[in-house]
Amino acid sequence: MLENEEIEEPTIKPVKEIFQTFFKSYSAVTGLVILIGIAVMGFIGPLFYPTDPFDMVWMPFSPPGADGFLLGTDYLGRDILSQIINGARVSIAIGFSAALVSCFIGVGIGSFAGFYGGWVEETLMRITEFFQVLPTLLFAMVIVALFGSSVLSITLAIGAVSWASVARITRSEFLRIKELDFVLASRSSGSNNMALIFRVILPNAAAPIIVQSALLVGAAITFEAGLAFLGLSDPNVISWGQVIGSNRVYILDATYTVTFPGIAIFITVLAISLVGDGLNDALNPKLRSR
Amino acid sequence: MNKHFLKTLLLTATLIFTSLGVSFAEPKKGGTLIAAVGNSPRHLNPAVQSGIVTGFPGAQLFATPIRYDNNWEPQPYLAESWEISDGGKTVRLNLVKDAVFHDGVPIKSSDVKFSLETIKKNHPFKTMFAPVVSVETPDEHTAILKLSSPHPALMLAMSSQLMAIIPEHVYGDGQDPKTHPQNSENVVGSGPFKLVEFKSGEHIILERFDDFFIDGRPYLDKMVLKIIKDPATRTIGLENGEIDFYAFENVARNIVRLKKNDNLTVTPDGYAAIGPIDWLAFNTKTGKTADVNVRRAIAYAIDRNFILKAIMLGVADEARTGIHPGSPFYEPNVEPYNLDIDKANKILDDAGYKKGSDGMRFGLTVDFGWPGLKPNAEYTKAALKKIGIDVTVRASADFPTWAKTVSNHNFDLTWDTVFNWGDPVIGVHRTYQTSNIKKGVIWSNTQQYSNPKVDAIMEKAGVENDMDKRKALYSELQKMLANDLPVYWTNTLPYHTIYSKKVGNPPMGIWATSSPMDMTYIKD
Amino acid sequence: MLFVLLVVVVLNFLMLHLAPGDIADTIAQTMGGADEQDMAELRQQYGLDQPFFIQLFNYVIRVALLDFGHSHFYNLPVFDLIMERFPATLLLVFSAQILSLFVGILLGVYAAQNPNGLSSLFVNMFSLFGYAAPVFWTGILLLIAFSLHIPIFPVSGMRDITIETDNFFVHFFDVLRHLFLPMITLASIFFAYYSRLCRASMLEVLGADFVRTAKAKGLSKKDVLLKHALKNSLSPVITFAGLSFSAVVSGAILVETVYSWPGLGTLAFNSIISRDTPVLLGILIFSTLMVTVGNLLTDLTLKALDPRIKI
Repeated sequence: MLENEEIEEPTIKPVKEIFQTFFKSYSAVTGLVILIGIAVMGFIGPLFYPTDPFDMVWMPFSPPGADGFLLGTDYLGRDILSQIINGARVSIAIGFSAALVSCFIGVGIGSFAGFYGGWVEETLMRITEFFQVLPTLLFAMVIVALFGSSVLSITLAIGAVSWASVARITRSEFLRIKELDFVLASRSSGSNNMALIFRVILPNAAAPIIVQSALLVGAAITFEAGLAFLGLSDPNVISWGQVIGSNRVYILDATYTVTFPGIAIFITVLAISLVGDGLNDALNPKLRSR
Repeated sequence: MNKHFLKTLLLTATLIFTSLGVSFAEPKKGGTLIAAVGNSPRHLNPAVQSGIVTGFPGAQLFATPIRYDNNWEPQPYLAESWEISDGGKTVRLNLVKDAVFHDGVPIKSSDVKFSLETIKKNHPFKTMFAPVVSVETPDEHTAILKLSSPHPALMLAMSSQLMAIIPEHVYGDGQDPKTHPQNSENVVGSGPFKLVEFKSGEHIILERFDDFFIDGRPYLDKMVLKIIKDPATRTIGLENGEIDFYAFENVARNIVRLKKNDNLTVTPDGYAAIGPIDWLAFNTKTGKTADVNVRRAIAYAIDRNFILKAIMLGVADEARTGIHPGSPFYEPNVEPYNLDIDKANKILDDAGYKKGSDGMRFGLTVDFGWPGLKPNAEYTKAALKKIGIDVTVRASADFPTWAKTVSNHNFDLTWDTVFNWGDPVIGVHRTYQTSNIKKGVIWSNTQQYSNPKVDAIMEKAGVENDMDKRKALYSELQKMLANDLPVYWTNTLPYHTIYSKKVGNPPMGIWATSSPMDMTYIKD
Repeated sequence: MLFVLLVVVVLNFLMLHLAPGDIADTIAQTMGGADEQDMAELRQQYGLDQPFFIQLFNYVIRVALLDFGHSHFYNLPVFDLIMERFPATLLLVFSAQILSLFVGILLGVYAAQNPNGLSSLFVNMFSLFGYAAPVFWTGILLLIAFSLHIPIFPVSGMRDITIETDNFFVHFFDVLRHLFLPMITLASIFFAYYSRLCRASMLEVLGADFVRTAKAKGLSKKDVLLKHALKNSLSPVITFAGLSFSAVVSGAILVETVYSWPGLGTLAFNSIISRDTPVLLGILIFSTLMVTVGNLLTDLTLKALDPRIKI
């Protein structure tokens, strides 16, 4: 497919150019600003709003705005605003860690499969196929049933079932890049395989992987909420999903207890996907030309 | 008892067949009742499967020898009369003459014998019929139960879903009754309704059995039991009229909400024999909770009123002991452990548990057996912080995980809901008997509580036929248990029945929907 | 294919085996208590007292002989249980998939006509709504809105069993009425994927030579758009649809839970929390097959769109 081109150069774009493209997009910048805002809220917010999210501070089910609680209180009289603020930290942490786990597994499997080919590729892609075919939520539930519903096991479970897309993208990038001249050149200059995979090819394959991983962060946050909805969450840690899961049975009367954390998840995932789009446009030279 | 019965025989005949009907206005025949159930039953044969989920369809499909009225008085059902003699060691059941199973085969005393033996062998509540050594069948309509010792729990054990009369010619075909294919399909029962269709996770459809042994009953043509797990979905269904009837609602918030609806009646009546109690169980063998002082301090620090008012929103009742407040054996005059933080702190100080520099004395874990008890566990964490106990809430991913943890005694505290199941012998003794400390078995004496005096009282109460003496024994038992505190009992699980105004005569006895609904009807 | 199935079976068998508690505990739960002997008997009956590898071996052999065993919980053949629930899930998954494809492509085509304008932004934001909101949350809000406050849709299940008629159309519309909210909820997740993919590939195709030729030949805008551009840009959309079948099934579990839809998702969920291993494995094998068939359909569709593709 590349016969007509003279020499394919490394496709890494200058950092400055990436930033320029990214910041030219209004939606990407908006997403980034929202995301930073939420992160700041989660990490610094508790300093300004010190109510402990676990403390029963008022009557249960006090509606939003009444009695000085902006977002109301939950079934134990705990402050929902404080839960949203503190939950931001945990939800974002779960999202990023799970995406990181997926990224590690996916890049590992995809790059080896793409680089080595043959039976290695065959086996690894079969494993990937397995994760692509299996309903991920079911698989994650089995993992949580096995290891218990702590934040750690939930995060790992999400990460462990969501990497198939990363693996596929990594593999196809590797398949494309490993035949390019600059790779062949460094191969002939005696670089060993590991150096080729991680120093030469991977940086050039990074763009689509980064974009995909960014989207996985959002997916992991909704995934965690889904598990919590089914009753699998850690009651010792406040995350948005956990707030939704715990208040689920009260939804008819105290809809706000589920609405607010839902909105928080919604805004965050929206912001992440806007940033993902921006990254995609900035990193992908093909699209930029349009 | 014999004379008493002969007298009541005529009386009850008239009562049940005429005046009961009249007193509840004129029941109308026909109509379909759309009910919701919260879980899919394993199968529909209550002889080998206990629990309220099978109980609802099970009590409609299968008749029992006797039934109970709302005052804990036994009434004739499949047995039109009974006599107790030999100091309670012989019980003679005289069966209704013209009763037939759903396939038209007459119900004989040999079926009663077969049913009892099957239940004794396969039902998890072994204490129900443990003293029954043999069943004699002198003729087709007489069954005589021979007991090794008096067994006051027997009457309750022969009612509701507990002693379903199943046909020997179907379930006695040599297959294991526990896994008999006709437990789920082509069920041949003896009760007022027969099975049309059972789709697990979707619905159970029951239809009037025209040859039911009580003439003119049941009133309903059809019962549709929709399986709806989500409490919110059920509530919406009740509100917009898609569902006429739901029993065993226990989400306090929904109960309060539905009470405001003019088209619905919401009542806590009917659950006295089921007897569900929420409690905080202690590990009395290992860890800090082995010290009774720690247990008492925890009880003083947990505000039962908060649970009743804030978590249960006022729809549950206080339960000070392990016997349900609706039971005639309930003894309210025990140490109630009302909230007293200072006393709790003092008990701990005196017992030598000093506060550390962070204000904490020691740490404990709290588990919970049902998702509905999560608020209690979270509240426990907050409440015990005030007396310097650092509590970690342990969430089990699912029931088997919790059951494994608790039944293997790997816990400090755990919230649980446990049922009385009618007589204390069936559902209360098991929690405190030394002989019932059984590793790996949930709802055995997982507290590993052992007190020879308590064991002795329970043994005596289990065979005492005199009601007043029995009450006195159970009163003493409850006081001793409240003192030793292997469990801190807080409240009844607020089971409520919710039904549309068009439903007449819903089951309001002591067994709720685990009793036949042959008298329920749909108004115009 | 067989390899994937074997991995599915072995891995899940192992994990559920190692998870704390077993079916005997679950049955004790439904019983309100249990007896030592009963529990031991149950374990023996279901072969749980045997070493893990023997259990696994027995299971694999049986599956190879096309026997999925009996549900430990329901005592019914797993195959029957699955067949009872399968039509509901199939209906939900396929209707949602088709709806999201249809709406997604429509939005994508619309957006591609004016890639940098307001309409494009609108389509983008609209489709992202469904993507960013947790699916069960959307479901609950729709349920509260359209079953409680404006009661135009039934609250649960797949059909009204009190309808006493054999008229096919009455039943058909009844199921349709029950299907509507769950279908929209499940489809909403995928609007974003399809509309964006469609928009992107449309733009790519619109820039290609043959479309320019068509335009030059004087074909109307509509004809160019539909006959040439759309047809050629469908491939990536449909490829993605094939790949996302497992994600649809995952979403279906949550949607089925919200709407009490009597499908495989809720059965699978219950089989995990009740340690009903044969049912879970049966469903996993079944859904693997379903996804495979879905992928096959995808390939066939792709081939129909573009005869050059070889399968």
